[in-house]
Amino acid sequence: MVFLFNIFYQFGDSLAFLLLAAIGLAVIFGMMKIINLAHGEFITVGAYGTVVSGKVFNLPLPIAMVFGVIITVIFGLILEKLIIRYLYGRPLDSVVATWGISLIVSQSFLVIFGPSYEGLQTPMGNFKLGEFSYSEYRVFLIIFALLILVLLYYLFMKTSFGTLARATIENPNISSSMGVNVQNVYTVTFAIGAGLAGVTGALYAPTMTIVPSIGQAFIVSSFITVVTAGASPFVGLVPAAAFLGMVQTSVTFFYKSTIGLIAILCAVILIIRYLPQGFSGLILKTRSK
Amino acid sequence: MISNYKKKKFEIIVFSILLLLPIFIDSYYLDNISYFMCWTFISLGLAVIWGMGGILSFGQTAFFGLAGYGFSVISINFLGIAGVSIWSVVLSLIITGIFGMIVGYFLFYGGIYDVFIGIVTLAITLVLETFMQQTAGPEYAIGSARLNGFNGMQGMPTIGFESLQFGLLEGVTQYYFILLLAIIILISLYKFKQSKIGLVFLATKEDRERVSSLGHNVQKTQLIAFTIASLLAGISGILYTNWGGYITPDSMGLVSAALPVVYVAASGKKDFFSVFLGCIFFVWLSQTLAINGKQFAIIVMGLILVISTRFFPDGIILMLKNKLTEKIKWL
Repeated sequence: MVFLFNIFYQFGDSLAFLLLAAIGLAVIFGMMKIINLAHGEFITVGAYGTVVSGKVFNLPLPIAMVFGVIITVIFGLILEKLIIRYLYGRPLDSVVATWGISLIVSQSFLVIFGPSYEGLQTPMGNFKLGEFSYSEYRVFLIIFALLILVLLYYLFMKTSFGTLARATIENPNISSSMGVNVQNVYTVTFAIGAGLAGVTGALYAPTMTIVPSIGQAFIVSSFITVVTAGASPFVGLVPAAAFLGMVQTSVTFFYKSTIGLIAILCAVILIIRYLPQGFSGLILKTRSK
Repeated sequence: MISNYKKKKFEIIVFSILLLLPIFIDSYYLDNISYFMCWTFISLGLAVIWGMGGILSFGQTAFFGLAGYGFSVISINFLGIAGVSIWSVVLSLIITGIFGMIVGYFLFYGGIYDVFIGIVTLAITLVLETFMQQTAGPEYAIGSARLNGFNGMQGMPTIGFESLQFGLLEGVTQYYFILLLAIIILISLYKFKQSKIGLVFLATKEDRERVSSLGHNVQKTQLIAFTIASLLAGISGILYTNWGGYITPDSMGLVSAALPVVYVAASGKKDFFSVFLGCIFFVWLSQTLAINGKQFAIIVMGLILVISTRFFPDGIILMLKNKLTEKIKWL
């Protein structure tokens, strides 16, 4: 029983990490077909926003987190206005430009905040089961990740903004001629994506060492999850994260965590070879049959 | 043929200057320029697949590192055997080429396209980096060569003929060797661009399906170009390892993967010569800026990348070159 819970806990931890890492990227990619290589830096902004505002203004953690998210949204909006909006419809150029942004931001953090920043303590306590002890905060993260997915589902399927957004994905030109302000939809979606990255950064800030390369810990996981999810990430995100989490947990269980990372990277390469449309392609195909 | 050379006056002038350079400057600067030119091959490889075929690959650094490590492992293992350095170069290039073909097979025959190629190749680069970083322990050794984790490998011989006491890649000989290699490769790439395979590859950028319905094998063409690019990256990796006498996992990291993309994007990915010239310029620029701290150099490189994609999608160096040849009539 304890053994089972142990595996379930490890799996849930890695599932939450993959989901939270990927979700902001998935929203931006799913909507605008832009791969945002600065995604990791958005997470960094969220984490630093949380930690710095928490330390400087002595705020309680939840409020500092809200601050972190707001700062990331503002940061995302500025970038969208200055650069990203000129690159819609040029997917490769947007990859290159966002990579440039990522270099600038991560190195600027290094210059401004130095190689490391005093971190926060992990909130909540631990609970014991048998001889093992578990962090309550990690369990909270698992629940929170699933909650965000439900909220996003609601936002994109049940609200009027969701309808406009889905119409814009389907066909921007026709939506535009029907009176949808496509540019606004893109801007808001980009802000939502940035905000979600900020949420990820804020949530993981108390659990990690605060270094300028903190976003890089997420970036690989986020890309491979979105790529495994496939062309319509909303459908494929959960199965992709579950599959990769399973691979990672089982390999890490027997070997070291670096080998676990290498294992999921290899798994992704194989998946793309045999399922180029990812899990969403598989699901949509079986559904249409 | 003659008209062809008339069109290339600018290129010929630049290369003449480079060929005469050792007369005018001392060996310290010459060694530096050799170092800058080490990076042109990996960038030219990227210009082939990205500029011609529209395939944005971040895997160039993986091949760079693989060739560097391959050269080190082989040459350290067979140290003392006649001609070891030359054989190590050949063998490590063969390994890099085979690895490039395998990766390319997975990409193109797997139906991966557009941005996904970028992500998968980035993943491959990071797998290699992650793996190499954790090889600090003594259990990670190939023969007598230890991989040494973060610290990287050292102690490989200089490329040359030991029996003749002749280092092919030192000082002025190194400069001329790299320069001549660059000239040969540039001419071959121009020929490749005009060959049948090159033209088909150019066409795949516009419309893969139409090219394939005209009866050409799209995947095979892309695979050939990708392999050529991986070999060019391998040449850079070996020359770099030989120049500095070391190779580290850092050479396959996220930042290193970005640098060739910056050089190619800012120079003008559609023109090989601009990439050659721009690469030398930008490596020089980042080295000069790095004197005040590496992070400032990277920030400026990032800015150059953003500005050139936003305002000069055709590349800054190519634009300047076109302006210059327009202004000066006889060029």
